[in-house]
Amino acid sequence: MTLETEVQSLRQVPMFRDVDPARLKLLAFTSERVQFSNGQRFFSQGDPSDAAYVILDGRASVLLNTPGGDIQVAELGSNALVGEMGILSDTPRSATIMAAEPTTALRIDKRVFLELLAQFPQMSLAIMRELAKRLERTNAQLVAQSS
Amino acid sequence: MEKSLFRYIWTHSKRDQLIVCAVVLASLPFYFMSLDLPRQIVNQAIQGEAFRDGNATAPFLHLSYEWPKWLGGGTLEIFQGFQVGRLGLLLGLSTLFLFFVIVNGAFKYWINVAKGALGERMLRRMRFDLFSMVLRFTPDALRTVKSSETATIIKDEVEPIGGFIGDAFITPIFLGMQAITALAFIMIQNVWLGLIALAVIAVQFTIIPKLRRELLRLGKQRQIASRQLAGRIAEVQDGIEVVHVHNAYNWERAEIGHRLFNLFTIRLKIYNRKFFVKSLNNFLAQLTPFFFYAIGGYFALRGTLDIGQLVAVIGAYRELPPPLKELIDWDQQRLDVQVKYDQVTQHFAEERLVPLVEAREEAEEDQPLVGELVAEDIRVAGPHGDMIIEGGAFAVTLPASVALVSNGGAAASSLARILARRMSEFSGRIRIGDRDLTQLPVPVVGRRIAYAGVDPILFPGSIRDNLIYGLRTKPLARSEEEKKEMDLRIAEAFKTGNPTESIGDRWVDYERVGARDENDLDRILLDLLDRIGMGDTVYLFGLAGRIDPERHMALAERVVEARRRLRETFLSNGMADLVEPFDPDRYNSQATIAENLLFGVPISEEFRGRNLAENGQFRSAIDRAGLTDDLVRMGLQIAETMTEIFEGLPPGHSLFEQFSFIGAEELSEFEAILRRHGRGEGTLRREDRTRLLALPLAYVEARHRLGLLDGQLTTRIVEARALVREVLEKAGSDGVEFLDPERYCAAAPLRDNLLFGRVSYQVANARARVAEAIAAVVRELDLLEGIERIGLDYQVGTAGRLLSPQERASVNLVRCLVKRPDIMVIDGAFSPFDEARSQQLLELLLELLDQQSLFMVLPNDRQAGAFNVQLRFRDGQIITDKTAAPAPRPARPEPAAAQRITGEVA
Repeated sequence: MTLETEVQSLRQVPMFRDVDPARLKLLAFTSERVQFSNGQRFFSQGDPSDAAYVILDGRASVLLNTPGGDIQVAELGSNALVGEMGILSDTPRSATIMAAEPTTALRIDKRVFLELLAQFPQMSLAIMRELAKRLERTNAQLVAQSS
Repeated sequence: MEKSLFRYIWTHSKRDQLIVCAVVLASLPFYFMSLDLPRQIVNQAIQGEAFRDGNATAPFLHLSYEWPKWLGGGTLEIFQGFQVGRLGLLLGLSTLFLFFVIVNGAFKYWINVAKGALGERMLRRMRFDLFSMVLRFTPDALRTVKSSETATIIKDEVEPIGGFIGDAFITPIFLGMQAITALAFIMIQNVWLGLIALAVIAVQFTIIPKLRRELLRLGKQRQIASRQLAGRIAEVQDGIEVVHVHNAYNWERAEIGHRLFNLFTIRLKIYNRKFFVKSLNNFLAQLTPFFFYAIGGYFALRGTLDIGQLVAVIGAYRELPPPLKELIDWDQQRLDVQVKYDQVTQHFAEERLVPLVEAREEAEEDQPLVGELVAEDIRVAGPHGDMIIEGGAFAVTLPASVALVSNGGAAASSLARILARRMSEFSGRIRIGDRDLTQLPVPVVGRRIAYAGVDPILFPGSIRDNLIYGLRTKPLARSEEEKKEMDLRIAEAFKTGNPTESIGDRWVDYERVGARDENDLDRILLDLLDRIGMGDTVYLFGLAGRIDPERHMALAERVVEARRRLRETFLSNGMADLVEPFDPDRYNSQATIAENLLFGVPISEEFRGRNLAENGQFRSAIDRAGLTDDLVRMGLQIAETMTEIFEGLPPGHSLFEQFSFIGAEELSEFEAILRRHGRGEGTLRREDRTRLLALPLAYVEARHRLGLLDGQLTTRIVEARALVREVLEKAGSDGVEFLDPERYCAAAPLRDNLLFGRVSYQVANARARVAEAIAAVVRELDLLEGIERIGLDYQVGTAGRLLSPQERASVNLVRCLVKRPDIMVIDGAFSPFDEARSQQLLELLLELLDQQSLFMVLPNDRQAGAFNVQLRFRDGQIITDKTAAPAPRPARPEPAAAQRITGEVA
């Protein structure tokens, strides 16, 4: 698997869909490709947010820490982006991510990511658009629930 | 120092000056003989004057002395001489001439060396005297004196003075004698012409120095201006952060430019003046022959002066100007140097120095500082004349822990400084037992009181050097030194007033800290560092450190053993994929191509980084392996990718530095190379190939993931290893230390030697897990102490800048603790630490110093409860509170030496 395939994966992520290919390549190049073994944690709930991950291959569980123990709330597959909210809002991790099988992910360092955003407004716009869409979806869900 | 340079020179070098003078005088007869001999050879031997009366032989080496008439006349025959023939005389006289040439040469050599040595010795003495005065600067003077100016003075400004010292007395005597001889000769020939010459000389010697007075004033200005320039440059560099923060580049540039302009104008004025004076001097020197020709010629025409006499006078006059000129030059130099000397002594004026106290080593004084500490009527004035402490008094029984609770003002800190003997501007009495604190001899204070202020001052050197700084008070044991070398060193030290102690001796007082030897001391240092919370840091420094396997043979062997154990741990714990070991027969995908090709660690700069691509030996090896074209092709691909993805990032962006193979400033150059290549210019230029070749050398497949390596290429790279090694070894190059699984590699850090491989880039969290595994093996094999001792060798850099503020503060505290002071004073040394850490440190200090006294300035009451006594400051008064009766402290088992120090307490 080379840089090019990683760029392909990044392109599948909604947040990066509109980003210039050369920038995606830079993002991929400045990121690290890391492997997690089955059951290994990407990060734990409450950890400081230092990176976002794009799953290239494999599956990971999203776990919430409750008084009754960890419960799985979602499962992530290929091309999923995880941990981006923490690095954007600078808050601790809100959930635990654990590899559900041997998983390969692209680790996007927080500092590098923010520097790229600061440097390339087009990238920031793409992210904002994606965040706005998410907000809209949440609003719609709220409306649906309250009615 | 003496006010007058000449007095200084005379006081310290009169013996040598007189000896050199005597030798100069002794050499003169030989010199005159050698001048006279050519005439004798021509007249006596060649023209045969000695054989004029038909003598077949003439005396050679005939020595006789004619008594003056007033002693009755007559001749004293000393040596009859040898009777020799004409050829014999010629050969004899010629040989004699050769003899005198050699003798003169020998004299000249000796005189020059003696003068040089004399000058250098005086220079050494002067520099040392000045440095001794640096140690004596008063706190007031230290506020105004710039260190860089002092450095320039000691290094540069006294240099010409040293050069002058050798000539200070000899030159004027020697030249003066020559001039007087020539003048006397003229006088004998004709009194009037002699008087004319004398008159012109008198004019020269009165006018020229007057004109030069201005020159001296300018010289003084120049010296001060250039000294200030040096000071300013150092200031700017020391405060460079402020310059950056406030964008003051233009101002600083203009400031220095202005100074340089000032210097230039002063120098220009000096040149104008100097060459004006010079030409005037030349003119005056030529004026005398004018008078001789005009007046002497007039008298000759009138017939009152013999023409032969006139010619003789003019001939003699030729001898006069050179010594005169040199004499005037010497005088100029003298004044110049005197001005410099005055400037130097002004910098070190008496009022800027604390009075010299003889360091008295009084054994009976050196008792532990315990007992009743009574302070009465303490008065400290503030900078504006206000009173910080007014009539403060307190009493404490030492040993005790005393909190100086600050009221937000300077009172607590002032009292701390007074107690630590760092401040002497106060009135009042402080007594410990029956001793006056202010009268304690300096060595006793240094030994028994420790002070840690806000600013931890560290010197460049290792952590260890800084920690044991307070233990080096005097040499305790002679080191093995070559006798001859030592005699010379000590003799020279005596001649120049320098200290005779050698820094090669053992200065560290092991006994005082309760250590048996060097290793034991290291153990104590490490224990203290560990307890103060710097143990991990020192361990990491040790892992990053390099050792000399010859010196630390046991440690190197154990590291190689630990290397095997670590590998086994990895294999047995399913961590094998975390580290890819270096294998002579396999490509290491976590290492760079350069590392894979060399299979070794560069020692010299020419094998490091991109330099490798320019290294002839390396190039020839990969040429022979047929890899050059492949690597250049990879370079092209890397350059293409880099120019594509880093396009648009501003130069100097941190991402370049962190990730790019190509610096921002090179991007355009590589684009040009790519264009040239793209246009199908076929073969690349030689220098382009070299630049492209440099790129893949830093390429790590697992990290950069450009997909440039395939199995076939990696096999060829592994095969090329042997070739590279062969070529380098054949060329006798020792620029690379090759890796050997069974041997310690001195060029690599300790950590790499333990690991003997590269941590995988691909496994999540690999670095932390590997670090844990290393720590476990280090503990298991009991390597921790050895590694931490290497960590003590870590260089702290200028003013400790390679350490963090917390580390600097920790080193400062341990430096104080290790000398086991009776009284430890802490004034702001905890400021780099957060509250939790400083609470821990406080508890630690109270525990470590339970047999000694601790005075600590606290910003508020929060921690004051832990102390036996609290001193508070209100309206200039000192209020004493005692927590409770100091509980009898449990006597801890202490090493013998510690008991000796604190023996009086029990």
